[in-house]
Amino acid sequence: MVSLADLKQNARNILKEGKVKYIIGYQSSSNGLRPVPAFIKAAEEVDKLIWNPLCVYNLTRFLVDEKRRKAREKNPDERPVGLIVKGCDSRAVNVLLQEKYIDRDNVYIIGLSCEDKGVVDEKKLARKFKEKKIEKIEFGKKNQFSVTTEKGKVEVAAEEILADRCLECSANVPVIYDVLLGEKTPRKLENPYESLKKIESLSKKEKWAFWKDQLDKCIRCYACRSACPMCYCDECVVDSINLAVTAETTAQEKEQKIRWIEKSPQLSENFVYHFVRAIHLAGRCVDCGECERVCPLDIPIRLLNKKLEKEAKELFEYVVGFNPEQPSLISCFRDEDPQDFIR
Amino acid sequence: MEHNTYLPRLAKIIQIKQEVGGARPIKTFRTQFLNENDFSFRCGQSAMLSVFGKGESMISISSTPLIKDYLQFSILKMGRVTSALHEMEENGIIGIRGPYGNGFPLDRWKEKNLIFIGGGIGLAPIWSVLQTALEKKEEYGDLMLIYGARTSKDLVFREELQELKSKMPVHLSVDVEEPGWEEFIGFVPQNVTDKKPSPKNAITITCGPPIMIKFVIKALEDLGFEDDQIYTTVENKMKCGIGKCGRCNIGKHYVCKDGPVYSWAELKKLPQEY
Amino acid sequence: MEKILKKNSFPQWVKKFIDYDIYAPVEDGDFWNYSLIEDPKNINLDFLTTVLSPKKIIFPQKEILLEFSTSNNGDLELKERLPEEKTKVVFGVRPCDARALTLTDKVFGGDFIDPYYQKRRDQTLLIGLTCNTPPSPHCFCTSVEGSPHSTDGLDILMTDLRDKYYVESFSGKGEQLINLGKGLFETPKAKDKKELEKIKADSEKKIKRQIKNIKKIPKILKGMFESPFWDEESLSCLRCGICTYLCPTCHCFDINDEVISSSPLEGQRVRTWDTCQFPNFTMHSSGHNPRPDRASRLRQRIFHKFQYFVEQFGDFQCIGCGRCIAKCPVGIDIIEVLEKVDKYGA
Repeated sequence: MVSLADLKQNARNILKEGKVKYIIGYQSSSNGLRPVPAFIKAAEEVDKLIWNPLCVYNLTRFLVDEKRRKAREKNPDERPVGLIVKGCDSRAVNVLLQEKYIDRDNVYIIGLSCEDKGVVDEKKLARKFKEKKIEKIEFGKKNQFSVTTEKGKVEVAAEEILADRCLECSANVPVIYDVLLGEKTPRKLENPYESLKKIESLSKKEKWAFWKDQLDKCIRCYACRSACPMCYCDECVVDSINLAVTAETTAQEKEQKIRWIEKSPQLSENFVYHFVRAIHLAGRCVDCGECERVCPLDIPIRLLNKKLEKEAKELFEYVVGFNPEQPSLISCFRDEDPQDFIR
Repeated sequence: MEHNTYLPRLAKIIQIKQEVGGARPIKTFRTQFLNENDFSFRCGQSAMLSVFGKGESMISISSTPLIKDYLQFSILKMGRVTSALHEMEENGIIGIRGPYGNGFPLDRWKEKNLIFIGGGIGLAPIWSVLQTALEKKEEYGDLMLIYGARTSKDLVFREELQELKSKMPVHLSVDVEEPGWEEFIGFVPQNVTDKKPSPKNAITITCGPPIMIKFVIKALEDLGFEDDQIYTTVENKMKCGIGKCGRCNIGKHYVCKDGPVYSWAELKKLPQEY
Repeated sequence: MEKILKKNSFPQWVKKFIDYDIYAPVEDGDFWNYSLIEDPKNINLDFLTTVLSPKKIIFPQKEILLEFSTSNNGDLELKERLPEEKTKVVFGVRPCDARALTLTDKVFGGDFIDPYYQKRRDQTLLIGLTCNTPPSPHCFCTSVEGSPHSTDGLDILMTDLRDKYYVESFSGKGEQLINLGKGLFETPKAKDKKELEKIKADSEKKIKRQIKNIKKIPKILKGMFESPFWDEESLSCLRCGICTYLCPTCHCFDINDEVISSSPLEGQRVRTWDTCQFPNFTMHSSGHNPRPDRASRLRQRIFHKFQYFVEQFGDFQCIGCGRCIAKCPVGIDIIEVLEKVDKYGA
């Protein structure tokens, strides 16, 4: 079990020693069960930190914000930022290191092991407990969560309310860390691509109808892009202005930025946006599931990324986020890579 | 039903003049509406010019409202739409909708001395006031123009400026020394301090790069000008031009509709977010 | 006009709306959204709240303003594309969402009337549904001059009395709709009226969240423009567009030319929703951005809703639906922000 007291003590120590600028973790929210991101700057604030099965956020994306903030400051504080990560989040840190977006000494990683469980999917939780008001949810005994409602405490089998991605997770223990809390529980991964089975079994026509239906709903709020730590490009395919424009950028350069996707949320543009984003994330997505969680219209975007993850593994034996030294998927090749499509 | 303000009126470009070349070119366009209409505007107002297929851009009208034959716009090549405008040729068709904005309060400036201070392309928005005041000289006091640019090649309306010298004091400047330049060398605010215009019964109208405006206002304050004697124009990114798309606001003011003309007294009261 | 309609007569009433396009909330997985209804039998008013408000029916996310093309002889032609649609009737409009439309009316009217918005607005009838219980745990309509049974902006208000609806109309158009179902309506009895009053009174008491000193907020905000408060509050903001896209009172939009063919030129000028939370919303072509960071953009959202709009129109630009709180991916809570503003001013 991850001890919250240990977590707080660790956080308190590194803040007191001035080792980090601030720590990014989880704190409880004023308006619901799900915690919100916490930015702890002083050792006295450490008691705000919490750890429970609803800590779903991938806090790694705030490292991107930190880098952007530092770029705007004149004399930035060069100390690292403390970051609380789960297994999936730590893989995201590895990808950022691999792409040299951040340096290893920009981040002090406090890893929390999910042990034999993971995080809870709020929708599954709501469906299981229907009208009852849930007051608390905690990590229970082996393979169980403890849910406290107004009627008392019940033990729930983990697999009933675990997020889909946790059921397919290959990194329940953080793979990179400065300090690790919790047990290094070995876990057998039996069905790595279970969530894809249903859609893979559909015919081409059915698949098209499925995605047409789903992407018609998309309002292009770009929450999926904003929540993803790997979507850090200043010049994104969907924006009509390159965010890195300065007073020195020539009119010609600005004029020649191609409008790949129109701003209006019609099916054709929505398709291009989501599929291009999925391809840009091939070999980079760690399946933290944030894109799907933040979508206000419950579009199952994660499936697109998961499919490409499967292709990368099956075709190129490429796994994402376990080794910060490995080259990126699209910038390396092996002699035995499939070539039958090259004529 | 009243005319749909989002629908531009078609106009033909009847004349294009290259004012400034090089990396930051400026061209002056004169346009004529294809069909008769009741378009009328006040000095300091702007219009949304459309290049169909590229987009729209809000440009101030630099001709005086006293000229009915054409509308004049001076456009700096900056991005998508302005590049497309620069590629157009005479007889090309563009869309014009407007006029938008509050314009200069000329009727409050009767009998006053008017001092025009411009930098670079900033001369264009105040040109219409200058031309109007010149045309109606008897209604206003003394007129003066202080104008400068980076180099002599970056000055706009060069021929018109030479003509103007015979009608009113015109003090030009360039930022750094260059062969053949005999007038002031230095930044526009420095030229203002050098020429010492008197604040007595005067109104100043200034327009140019934000940093120039900042220092011009300081120079004027040092010369004794009050906040309500200094007028300037503000710019912001605009799309609708009528205060609905929510983009160009500074505080509760929409620059497209409630501005872009503000006195320094009014501007100081708004949140400093531009 | 006040009438009673038995619930099992409801589908028959709706069947009479043959000249109208009917919209109502439709269930889609775990959430509801307004959709065009083909079969009136399918209207189900047992919903809580919708993800997107009925604003999208009057102010759609994509709207074609005009079309441009080159004719055979090379001349440029413009064609105005005002909305040409049937009159619409929207069922199940929550009173707060209807009130939001009276606020957007102020924006789209004024000196320059927006003909696209106006035409749709004039051609849409709103039939409200009283919130007997708050649709969302984050509702706070009573704090922003609204109420769960407000009639602002509605043509008809229906209140659920278990086996029947109490139907009140407030406009000529509303009366016309009721008259379409002549024989189906009954006169309310005294006990019906009593039950209605009780439901309405109780509905207000059930609203859990409140902003205590909201009347003081505009003044406090005025002094907080330069405060580092906004840096703190916006630390976790993702700069997505969810809060503004879901908001029933937000109205920011973008106008772009979408080209179908470049030679001969053919295309459309399209208006789409936009949000002040995107980094490139206010970015000038030169790269200068008056709102370069999330602090200034969060400040803009709060100020616009609780200070600028108040100074311009005398109302808060917020109707207390709580959608932004429920769907914010990082839990930024507008009520909490305002309560902190209140404390700041103390």
